[in-house]
Amino acid sequence: MKKISFFMTAMLFAVTACTLDKTDYEDEINTVVTEYIDYEEVVSITKDQYLINIVALNGTFYKGYNEIRLNITNTDTNENVNTSDVTFLPLITNYSGNSTSCPHQYNLDYNTADDYYLGYAVFTEESNDSENWELYITFTDNEETHYVTQAITVEEQTNMNLNMTSFTADDGEQYFIALVAPQKPAIAENELVAGIYKYNQPTNEAGTFPDPTQFSYTEVTDYTLLLDPRMPEPSMGNHSSLNNEDLTQQDDGLYYGVVNYTMTGNWTLNFRMQNQYGEIIKGTEVSTEFTPGIEGARSELHIDILF
Amino acid sequence: MKRLLIIFTLLLSNIFVNAQDTNKKKDSIIALDEVELITVIKKKIETEMKMAVSVDEFLASSDNISFIKRGAYAWEPLLNNMSSERSTITIDGMHVFGACTDKMDPITSYVESNNLAAIDIKSGQEGNMHGATVAGSIDLKRRSTPFSLTKKWKGAYQTGFEINNKQFFNLANASYSSNKFVADGSLAYRKAENYSDGNNDEVNHSQFTKFNASLGLAYKTSELSSLKVEAIYDQANDVGYPALPMDLWLSRALITSATYKQLFENGLFKALDTKIYFNAIEHYMDDTTRPENLVHMDMPGWSTTYGLLSKANIKKNRFSSEIQLNAYNNYSIAEMRMYPQDRSERTMFAYSWPGVTTTFAGLSINNAWEISDQSLLNFGGSLGVNYNHSKYVEFNWIFHPGTPQEKTRILPSLHAGYQLNIDNFNFSVGGGYGHRAPSVSEGYGYYIYNSFDRYDYIGNPDLENEISYEGNASAGYANDKFSLQANVNYFYIENYIIGRILSLGSPMNYQSIGVKGYTSLDYSTLFNFSLNGSYSILDNLHWKGTLTYARGKDENENNLPFIRPLSYQTSLHYQYNKLSFQTSINGDLEQIHYSPEYGEDQTPSYTIWNLSADYTFKIKDYKTVVQVGAENVLNEYYSTYADWGNIPRMGRNIFTSLKFNF
Repeated sequence: MKKISFFMTAMLFAVTACTLDKTDYEDEINTVVTEYIDYEEVVSITKDQYLINIVALNGTFYKGYNEIRLNITNTDTNENVNTSDVTFLPLITNYSGNSTSCPHQYNLDYNTADDYYLGYAVFTEESNDSENWELYITFTDNEETHYVTQAITVEEQTNMNLNMTSFTADDGEQYFIALVAPQKPAIAENELVAGIYKYNQPTNEAGTFPDPTQFSYTEVTDYTLLLDPRMPEPSMGNHSSLNNEDLTQQDDGLYYGVVNYTMTGNWTLNFRMQNQYGEIIKGTEVSTEFTPGIEGARSELHIDILF
Repeated sequence: MKRLLIIFTLLLSNIFVNAQDTNKKKDSIIALDEVELITVIKKKIETEMKMAVSVDEFLASSDNISFIKRGAYAWEPLLNNMSSERSTITIDGMHVFGACTDKMDPITSYVESNNLAAIDIKSGQEGNMHGATVAGSIDLKRRSTPFSLTKKWKGAYQTGFEINNKQFFNLANASYSSNKFVADGSLAYRKAENYSDGNNDEVNHSQFTKFNASLGLAYKTSELSSLKVEAIYDQANDVGYPALPMDLWLSRALITSATYKQLFENGLFKALDTKIYFNAIEHYMDDTTRPENLVHMDMPGWSTTYGLLSKANIKKNRFSSEIQLNAYNNYSIAEMRMYPQDRSERTMFAYSWPGVTTTFAGLSINNAWEISDQSLLNFGGSLGVNYNHSKYVEFNWIFHPGTPQEKTRILPSLHAGYQLNIDNFNFSVGGGYGHRAPSVSEGYGYYIYNSFDRYDYIGNPDLENEISYEGNASAGYANDKFSLQANVNYFYIENYIIGRILSLGSPMNYQSIGVKGYTSLDYSTLFNFSLNGSYSILDNLHWKGTLTYARGKDENENNLPFIRPLSYQTSLHYQYNKLSFQTSINGDLEQIHYSPEYGEDQTPSYTIWNLSADYTFKIKDYKTVVQVGAENVLNEYYSTYADWGNIPRMGRNIFTSLKFNF
């Protein structure tokens, strides 16, 4: 009997081992997407007795949306400066010396719970040989205003789920849409978060460089971003998902909606941007036809993602 | 099917009555042997026409079984014109669940005719012994050699060739029995190429290769108890499905069990039979053999089941009862991976079964009370708990936002039947009530492509239990020369689960034309009728005939799909010494009540004529049978109402086989 049961057990192990391994779902989602959770120091600047730390996800500035956390320490007293008005202005200067900025929060908010100044920047370009980003930061301490300038590097965003786009809408204004979340989508209902920003044309002559009025951007309010996600791959025949929700603005200024991804792969988020008066000012409606073998047509306003 | 139950009950009672009368003198070994024998007294696995049949062909010879066919292999059995999720299909009471989301691997595809002794089909709620059901149960009884007082070797070898699809098969089985120890083993190998239809056109992708092996070892642990371990290993390679856009690369099944049986000489309890089992199935479909496909796609699936089954037989005077505890846990997971045209790009992945656990525990009881020598009352019931858990519930949330990850259902069942035999006449009337839980696909399936209606199907975890109310009746007459038997049953099924077009979502598979979600109809009704007759024209010339009719309607009086039209079969059997001849004609009438709503088109009528002859002789002491025959002699081009995508059936097929018994 013992021999038999040994034989049976051995056979059980030999035959139950699967021929092909099942897909590891976590690994599958991680193949093209890396999720960063940790905020790390990007740069630290010493100015007189002050030490300024700038912190962002993964310690790197990427093209697209970046949440920015900033700390100022008075090294003489070893105390955090927390009563200051901090301003933050990123500028990119090209080879001919012209400077432009990108959507950003100029006046940083102080987060009392975690002791840092909070803002964001939506870098529109990666740093390259001829174009460099610089941060212009001001803060006041003891009724004295300090000016800091720091060169930074903006790297390519490899995670397409944090892609951005910029365009001129039908109202003649220049807009920016940057994806904020999810970093790592799932085959599920995903909360889709994006920032929508607008460049404010300066109304006055430029003052002393850098004059913030020349580089002013605001979050647009009360717009709606109509969403139609589709898979562009020809063999997917313009496949779409359901129960998606258009993006509307919430209290933090960002736009929240729902996107359902039915499988991994390339997806296009087709958008139409509607202003507060209900007018579509950018984007075209895409076909809902199922067209196997034909690459899905995209809206003129869209962002491609991949996971 | 009631007849089977009567036979079973009568046999059981006889054995115990006899055993009780004589067991003072008789060795109790005999009692054990005789209980073992019960399972052997059933139909042999061969049909009237053909002695070397596949399991599918054998099942097809039953009145209330029809088949959905997607090719030459692994047909899906429909019991009482209901799809396979409505019946419980078991192997010796063990639950085995296929690993293919497209139902390309019904359980019947994992056994072979030479490791089975019989197939026990019960209609409706009478089939609730092994778990909740609506249509009934199909239990595949494994071959099981009894203990013997002297050491005995037995075996059979069968080989044959079928010309149409160049199918070559070898089936061998052997057994050894002694007082203490029994071993049963079987090996089978079949290889077939594409078959040709009635126009002599080859049907591409209809080949298959199947290997099956089984082993059973029984050991008598005491005079009244035995322990048995059994295993079946089945492997199919390169199986084509002409009606589908993809084929099977490999499927493997390992089905194992250990059974402990205890008999009791005295007292209320007569027998106690406890089995633990484990089975694992892997099923890999892909379309590497279909270069014309726009998308290359893999669809692997896995299904693993653990279970326990414990059965007690009770007998007191004219009352006997069978109580069974069933418990099992199944984990089914299936994937799809689509490859973009540019293979360097990211593949597209999703689960078609997002890791679904089904746990069931139920207690069933069936009683038989012989009111008199002429009449018998059967009644019984079962109560089960069915629990589902979806591992990647976010897949289900896409179509059913916020649906719970777990779902528990209570599945009750009741049935009763009365049988009366007066002289040569027999009558029966019965009724039943029962619930069933949705299957894994119906509850949790995700974009499962159905090539019949060309829709992608989505499961709904919130489906209600399907509730069946059924009535059945039969009447018959039999004497030495002539018999006639009529059976009817009627099902009224509440919350009938079927796919309905969803206005939401868009198809994922490029061949599909839309998305269907499993939904519950308020109700649907199903009516089945069969008439069987036989007549002995001469002592050695026998006639048999069968007529079946079925009708299925949904709540709006529309036709249900896959309902067999009026069909008939008539056969003659002539025996001359050791030579015997059979001929049969069978066919369906035109399908009048087809269902365009569910993707059906009208199927014309057809008639098939079959012929065979066999000769029995001895080579030394070995009984040998040689058979030659032809199916579809007139080479008719046809497909039936249940042929997926109207693929044509096999044209003329000449078959030969040779069987040795030793």
